[in-house]
Amino acid sequence: MSWLESLTLNSPSGFWNPIVWLAFLIVFAVIGYIIYSRGNRSYKPNTDQVKPYLSGNEVEDVEEIRVRAGDIYWGFIEALKGYYNVLMRMHTGDIRDYILWYLGLGAIILFILVGGV
Amino acid sequence: MGKLTNFKRSLWVFHASGGSCNACDIEIIASLTPRYDVERFGIKLVGSPRHADVLLVTGAIPRDFADKLRRIYEQMPDPKAVVVVGNCGTTGGVFYDSYNIAGPIDEIIPVDVYVPGCPPRPEAIIDGVVKAWLKIEKLEKELEGKKE
Ligand code: SF4
Repeated sequence: MSWLESLTLNSPSGFWNPIVWLAFLIVFAVIGYIIYSRGNRSYKPNTDQVKPYLSGNEVEDVEEIRVRAGDIYWGFIEALKGYYNVLMRMHTGDIRDYILWYLGLGAIILFILVGGV
Repeated sequence: MGKLTNFKRSLWVFHASGGSCNACDIEIIASLTPRYDVERFGIKLVGSPRHADVLLVTGAIPRDFADKLRRIYEQMPDPKAVVVVGNCGTTGGVFYDSYNIAGPIDEIIPVDVYVPGCPPRPEAIIDGVVKAWLKIEKLEKELEGKKE
């Protein structure tokens, strides 16, 4: 078995060989470079020339004009603002905080069930 | 394939109207209708300056539109040419020196061809676009020269 064959992985639906894969990658990179090098040199990056046409109006930051999936809940969150403001401040994303909450609440429940009686 | 030494493609035109009275615009449309039919020469109106070789501007340009016109001009790929159709854009026409006019178009963007008239006839507009074509061929040759 040659070294090339030893690298080949055969399966009922085909084969996989990293050397062949690499060869294809190089061929396609060369083709890509040829297409790129034939491109228009008068193209001016970082100017208005590359921006989308919006009837001559300035293109706004996409982040500011995009409607996100979370915006569906806008009315809900706005109505329960007081509740969410407190909850969001507590929601730190730090696992240690959550464990602390878990232990604290566990202790309170235990105190009510066992010690409180 | 031989090297491109001049502009051999169809000429695509973008029309920007800076609040003209519409008579210039209707003459541009007339040049597209069967009587003149410039599309048979490959000259056609396109919906975006990103696809255009020639910018056709009509009307005196109000102050609020000047920055938009500048942006439209910049969004066109090189080589490009600007044709002003009508007296309004050429000199300000009847709106000359008005408080709300940003001036003749050549004070806002560089203009290559002027087509005077109020409004100009379709033949004059077609002649203007053909002159712009010659200009673009010249620019294309210059760009080719820079590449070599
Ligand atoms: S040049 Fe005359 S026809 Fe053209 S937009 Fe101005 S007023 Fe109207």
